[in-house]
Amino acid sequence: MTTIESNPAVPVPRNTVGDPQPRPRRRSLRRHIPTAFWVVGIVALTAIVLYPLLWMFSASLKPNSEFGSNQGFFPENPTFDNFVKVMQGIAGIPTWKFFLNSLLLGIGAVIGTVISSSMAAYAFSRINFRGSRILFAAMIGTLLLPFHVLIIPQYIIFRNLGLIDTFWPLLAGKFLATEAFFVFLMVQFIRNLPRELDEAARIDGCGHGRIFFSITLPLIKPALITSSIFAFIWSWNDFLGPLLYLNSPDKYPLPLALRIFNDQTSTSDYGATIAISVLALLPVMLFFIIFQRFLVDGVATQGLKG
Amino acid sequence: MTTDSAHAPATDRSADSGAHPAGSRRAGASRPRRSRNRDSLAGYIFLSPWLLGFIGLTLGPMLASLYLAFTDYNLFTAPEWTGLENLGRMAEDEKFWGSVRITLIYVLVGTPIKLAAALAVAMLLNYKAKGTGFFRSAFYAPSLIGASVSIAIVWRAMFSTDGPVDGTLNLFGINLGGWIGNPSLIMPMMILLAVWQFGAPMVIFLAGLKGVPAELYEAASVDGAKAWRKFLSVTVPMLSPVIFFNLLLEMINAFQVFASAYIIGSGTGGPGGATNFYTVYLYTRAFANNQMGYASAMAWVLLLAVGVLAFILFRTSRSWVHYAGDSK
Amino acid sequence: MFRTLSRRTLTGVAALAAAGLALTGCGGGGGEPAAVDTEEQITLNYTFWGNDDRAARYDEAITAFEEKYPNITINDTFTDYPSYWEKRQTEAAGGGLPDVMQFDYTYLRQYGDNGLLLNLEEYFGNGITTDAIDESLLSTGKLEDGTFAIPTGYSAWSVFQNPGLLAEAGVEPYAGGTSWEEYDTYMASVTDASGGTVYGGTDTTQRIQDLELKLRQDGRQLFTDEGELNFTQEELAEHWQEGQANRDKVTVPQSKLEEINPVSGFGGNLTTSEMSWSNFLGGYLGDSGAEEITIVAPPTSNPDEKDLYRKVGLMQAASSSTEHPEAAAAFVDFLINSPEVGGIFGATLGIPASETQLEGANLEGPDKAVQDYLDSIADRLGEAPAAPVAGFGAIEQTFWDLGKSIGLGTVTPEEAAQQFFDEAAVTLGS
Repeated sequence: MTTIESNPAVPVPRNTVGDPQPRPRRRSLRRHIPTAFWVVGIVALTAIVLYPLLWMFSASLKPNSEFGSNQGFFPENPTFDNFVKVMQGIAGIPTWKFFLNSLLLGIGAVIGTVISSSMAAYAFSRINFRGSRILFAAMIGTLLLPFHVLIIPQYIIFRNLGLIDTFWPLLAGKFLATEAFFVFLMVQFIRNLPRELDEAARIDGCGHGRIFFSITLPLIKPALITSSIFAFIWSWNDFLGPLLYLNSPDKYPLPLALRIFNDQTSTSDYGATIAISVLALLPVMLFFIIFQRFLVDGVATQGLKG
Repeated sequence: MTTDSAHAPATDRSADSGAHPAGSRRAGASRPRRSRNRDSLAGYIFLSPWLLGFIGLTLGPMLASLYLAFTDYNLFTAPEWTGLENLGRMAEDEKFWGSVRITLIYVLVGTPIKLAAALAVAMLLNYKAKGTGFFRSAFYAPSLIGASVSIAIVWRAMFSTDGPVDGTLNLFGINLGGWIGNPSLIMPMMILLAVWQFGAPMVIFLAGLKGVPAELYEAASVDGAKAWRKFLSVTVPMLSPVIFFNLLLEMINAFQVFASAYIIGSGTGGPGGATNFYTVYLYTRAFANNQMGYASAMAWVLLLAVGVLAFILFRTSRSWVHYAGDSK
Repeated sequence: MFRTLSRRTLTGVAALAAAGLALTGCGGGGGEPAAVDTEEQITLNYTFWGNDDRAARYDEAITAFEEKYPNITINDTFTDYPSYWEKRQTEAAGGGLPDVMQFDYTYLRQYGDNGLLLNLEEYFGNGITTDAIDESLLSTGKLEDGTFAIPTGYSAWSVFQNPGLLAEAGVEPYAGGTSWEEYDTYMASVTDASGGTVYGGTDTTQRIQDLELKLRQDGRQLFTDEGELNFTQEELAEHWQEGQANRDKVTVPQSKLEEINPVSGFGGNLTTSEMSWSNFLGGYLGDSGAEEITIVAPPTSNPDEKDLYRKVGLMQAASSSTEHPEAAAAFVDFLINSPEVGGIFGATLGIPASETQLEGANLEGPDKAVQDYLDSIADRLGEAPAAPVAGFGAIEQTFWDLGKSIGLGTVTPEEAAQQFFDEAAVTLGS
């Protein structure tokens, strides 16, 4: 028994990692120098990373005819027409409807993914059952096949179930943990939890259900938050699934609506395309900003009644 | 894969020295032997959603595609068994080998850069200070954009002649011209696009860093370790399960890069075949040329090739990935 | 396997349904389909590709149809062009094509020859009126076993010009319909006059339509009657080689075009002319922001040959598995012939093929300009080629990609010709 480290059974007040912890110390000046480097470096990096996005925001104010001739940052003739146009909706369907559909699918994806993937991850990492190795290998295997060759067979399955033009084909996979990414991610986090907690709970007579709910889940909160973020964003941006399974335009999520301003075979409105992309970005950005806050806390504040 | 890691990293010793009574109190507790059957039942109960999805939604289609890999199937008429013909055609297909070549370059160069950037920024952002929330969001923002025409337009503007990238390089006396119209610069551009969208591994690293107890750093500091030493002896071992995860998943994803290549190349693999990545080519075969048999064969060849790499990674992980829950 | 099974099951269901219909006397006996039932509540699925503008127009057209046939409800669905075909391919393979579909000439043979489309010929004069459609246009939907789609409209290959940019460069517009040398001279004078900021045009050998035009000016076709390539690899290499002089000095560099893609050189105001299908006028107006764009006839090496043709683009088709073929036929008829629909769509689906619809369309502005252009080239219009071979879309795309690659300098015309023939062998052989 060499590992002692993180044993959150004891709620030790603890700082999260980060090397230079700003703390009232006497050598405060020397402490400030790395901080200054940190700030300068990170601001510069941020500017580089954000520039293309800012360009996109700025481009949403360009009239369509500027897209071929003006690739500069600023619009020559700035206009809000693009936003006015996309807010008018498509073929009588109001734009907020697409946002709402995306939101419903996103929330469904988060709930389904977190529940099903954490259960599977617990089984793979903490329960010693017959066939676990082969099933785990099979799960990794599902990551390896390009999805394009699965499109048609999966379409046939959902068609035979009579689920075309419903949200179910888009959500079923989430509730059934078909995205091995999430299961594997949680497996990695659970395996990194010390087993002593489980053992202690077992001695106290807890079954797997209790251990899962009161020990494992609280401790892998960072993984759950991360998974929630990804599940939401990937669902928000998913294009192929809705394309194949939804028919009624009033069930369309944003990625489908977004493409409709752009028709390669006749006329395209790039201004409107960029404008709705910008609008589509705002809710996920908000989602991320809210959820990343929970990452600050992590295990550190997890008190646990052991 | 569930074997216990044999080598406890050096950190454990330093951790040991940092007193942690609660941990050692349980140290001697013996592990009660449970009936394996009862555990199996619990295992399958916990696994039931995944199992249902695996059998109901994934396994069947995978087997179907495996069968199709040995057929000629044009989507409209019943598949015809052709045995290994697809593999033979693949071996002689220059475009196939071209796609293998550029995909390998993309994986081998792009993945390490992306992961290094993600880890570096995650560590920067793990700093507990005002404004980290903003910076985290800023760095993640590029990864929020789905693959759409919009990103293609933005990217073209960034890399066109006299655009921001070209303009900046000109300042340093490097004159490459526009990247978009130059097939030999498409690969670096694609890699930069991937690195730019490094949000996913960054957040995972960040989540992993949250699980590294500060005591370990403090203990290392007491031992007089410098920052680099702390990184190697504390951060890396403690983060190894997450590093392993990101490495494996980013590698797999890079092999299957599709959306960005499809968008940048307008779905045609252009300009000059420079975006004809493996899955872009597979997709073209499947849906533009209606050769689903050939595409399925390509898919399974990729599965086997990446599967071997994944297997090797899992094997080597025993020596460098340390799971706190596995050590005895 | 799963697919054949499901197909079999589907066929079985369809057969049962047909038998049921026959027993109840609902289906017309002896191949004489009955007119659409006005009692039964029918729902039809319809699908199209296009932009928000087209979606709004279809919305209006469907409302008009539902007023005329109160018992029929149309559920429509739409997406962009590439996704549209990905979804159709999936539905075709998995069963479940919509009842009625906006169709593309390029895919007609693939779907029609595989029995996925309803033979509309059975409804001619009995649900679908064909009198107002020119025979040569109607026959474009014809395959060996029947007529599987009806064109909504047509366009023709043309030269677009931007008078505003020309005036800036101080160059007279290209008159149209003259020799290739004159067009080349025109392009060169624009490029020279502007000093390299605006170009006279885009490489005129890049697209398969460029080659087709030249072949037709020699009295030849792109494909043989058997659906094989009707030119040699050497001829193709030569064709691409011919564009080299222009690519070197006159036409807009391909690298510049890559930078502004998806906007074309002409749409991005980089060139004063571009050759394309006449129905792109609206798109060019929007992309370039130009006040006026003119259309003239492409150059020709042989003024006596009927080298141009009315190109059918958009069509309407129905699925062979539809449970309501009569209603589907009625909807197709409405979309093709109704003057009301003509008024709703104008020329956005091409210059209407049906005379009644053309009258209703009452074209004006740019649409009128396209119509006038088509009238002006009447004596150069020859017979349209047979329905494109299955996989033509991929062949067309490959040709264009290789044409662009030559422009970028990554392949020589000879290498490109070699690659094209290799690709075509795979596509046509399957």
